[in-house]
Amino acid sequence: MSRPDPRMRLAILGGKLTARASRSLRMGGGTTLPGDVARAIDPLVLRKLGASPGRGTVLVTGTNGKTTTSALLRQIAAAAGWRAGGNQSGSNLIYGLTAAAIAQADLRGRMELDWLVLEVDELSAAAAAREMQPQILVVLNAFRDQLDRSFEVDQVAARLGEAVAALPPTAAAVLNSDDPRIAALAGPPKALLFGIEDRGVDRGGLPESADRPVCPRCGGSLQFGAVYYGQCGDYRCPACGWSRPTPSLRVTRVLTAGLDHVELTLEGPGGGAGPLEVPLAGAHNAANVAAAALAALEMGATWDQIGRGLRAFRPAFGRSQVVRWGQGQVRLLLAKNPAGMQASLEAVLGGDSGPVLGLALNDGIADGTDISWIWDVEFERLAADGPRWIVVSGRRAAELGLRLRYAGVDGSRLLLRPAPEEALDELAERAAPGMPAPALLTYTAMLAWHRAVVGTGEAEPFWREG
Amino acid sequence: MPGSGSLRLGVLYPLEMNLYGDRGNVLALVRRAALRGVELEVRTLGLDTGDPDDIAACSGFLIGGGQDLDQLALAHDLVAGKGPALREQVADGAPLLAVCAGYQLLGEHYRTAAGDLIPGLGILPLRTEAGRRRLVGNVLVAANAGLGLANPLLVGFENHSGRTILEPGLSPLGKVVRGRGNDGESGLEGAVLGSVLGTYLHGPLLPKNPALADWWLFTAADRAGTTVDRSQLDDSAEEAARREAIRITLSGSRTRGYRLLGRRPRIRRTG
Repeated sequence: MSRPDPRMRLAILGGKLTARASRSLRMGGGTTLPGDVARAIDPLVLRKLGASPGRGTVLVTGTNGKTTTSALLRQIAAAAGWRAGGNQSGSNLIYGLTAAAIAQADLRGRMELDWLVLEVDELSAAAAAREMQPQILVVLNAFRDQLDRSFEVDQVAARLGEAVAALPPTAAAVLNSDDPRIAALAGPPKALLFGIEDRGVDRGGLPESADRPVCPRCGGSLQFGAVYYGQCGDYRCPACGWSRPTPSLRVTRVLTAGLDHVELTLEGPGGGAGPLEVPLAGAHNAANVAAAALAALEMGATWDQIGRGLRAFRPAFGRSQVVRWGQGQVRLLLAKNPAGMQASLEAVLGGDSGPVLGLALNDGIADGTDISWIWDVEFERLAADGPRWIVVSGRRAAELGLRLRYAGVDGSRLLLRPAPEEALDELAERAAPGMPAPALLTYTAMLAWHRAVVGTGEAEPFWREG
Repeated sequence: MPGSGSLRLGVLYPLEMNLYGDRGNVLALVRRAALRGVELEVRTLGLDTGDPDDIAACSGFLIGGGQDLDQLALAHDLVAGKGPALREQVADGAPLLAVCAGYQLLGEHYRTAAGDLIPGLGILPLRTEAGRRRLVGNVLVAANAGLGLANPLLVGFENHSGRTILEPGLSPLGKVVRGRGNDGESGLEGAVLGSVLGTYLHGPLLPKNPALADWWLFTAADRAGTTVDRSQLDDSAEEAARREAIRITLSGSRTRGYRLLGRRPRIRRTG
């Protein structure tokens, strides 16, 4: 930023003014529109700002776990004494990234930041990598998501491959060795792998929601020795011999009793951490923690700093976040696609989570207007097991209720409460004392419930920068 | 042939053709058959299974939707392998319900966006070509009166790039009330010929359209000589889900989600 760049400065000014106007007009959090305005003034603004953080930029992408992994990474950065910023609001298309970068910059494009940690939509990751030239790209997984508008999963994986290929030669790709499509992306520049290695959390087969597991190398059918979540596990291809590459950072122990926390042990490279408790639920979150730890090592953090950061972590918006409602408490768990819903459901059933469970299904654009995916989630497991009561909510509550009946759940256990307030009432009332009632929610259902809670003053608006 | 009191459902390629919750159709048939006093055994007719004897032992069939690649992978098995036995069964009156990609495979051919020609079974006189934009959204269809459905208003969701053109004389499943249908232009949805029914509607189709599930069961029972209870069942949960879907389809409001996000929708090119 040595030479003045009037066009970029004008773009930043335009973006900042738009953000202010958007907030004061209550048009939302001002998380995207400023990016639109700034890019209209200077299409290269994000490219220019990509060089502004003192140490560099980290991009986090994948279908599930982006927000949590980015938040973990920012927490570790803080423990390492670095100033880290990002797009905590979750606006993760290229316009949202631009808006977040502008919010961090001063009018000359300078940032008082060491690291910019941004979560990026899977289909925007290649463009973001090209523009921002990050030091690190974290790729978590590729699941079916929003069938009404997304690419097929193989195409998503191909776009993630483009993102890896767009990295500068000095950068590193942090990849999930348990997801065959992601492990197959390993190649230049530098690939660092993380994975789970604890058969104790093997679910004993692929869930219904997983796609046909195809070998990315030869197209043969993969065989799994263990499955932890989605199509992620220990696999090999009998046809060509390709198998899960050995990760350099391994989660050697995962204890998932209850929704309060997972207890993890991380090993290598150059040390380890744990057992440590992280306030997240389910085996899939063990992978998010591993991804954040491996990226942090590459950023230059020590194992000691990683351990301290993880212990200090508090859940991001709607990711195992506990809110108060009346006399009771509710734990909000985002479940935006079949893999996420399946993993969260298994976390709920994995321990004693109390007498009542909430499920909310919306069909807004951000949820995906096609809700047929709920028929691929194994709700059958609720038929013989699980909470006494199931509160069914959202714009498509009746459809979800029908799905549960067809799963064999007795109708007398179902409480159809479409509106967030009435569902929250029911959950808070029926929750056991001191035990938050878990609620699995699609994206806009989460926003609607959160707004209801914010209305009572029990939680902060979601766009508040951490 | 199954004896009295039981029927056998052959599900074609459940591993490959299950993109849009098509499993729900199987659940609906099994559940409804049980409520009507019939045991419905489910048999998988996959890439490595389903020889002509297996197919001959089934009372009726289902085939669901899949990705283009999967469709290509199994087209040969379907046309050359299972084709003759399947054609014989449906000619004899066995019900065959085909959804989305499965529907396309029953026609003469499907031409993909890449220009590949995927041969079809040719059971239905229709052909499909990939279009530029996908046809996506909630659908309401007024079903063909010839089917004699207890409730002729069908509800579902479509998501296809294929444009399906029926040969003259082939009956559609029905007329589009809301949505796009076969090709987005003709106002027609699906196709029916004898005991074969093809449609783009998933959602999945049968749980929210119990009348159509009954059509499959009664057709299978008639042909097998199996007695089923044909009285009206308690469909209140199904009706509630239908009402909800109909209300949302008629309101056509697809903007609520992104308004909450303060984000404008980006239209993505889809494959």
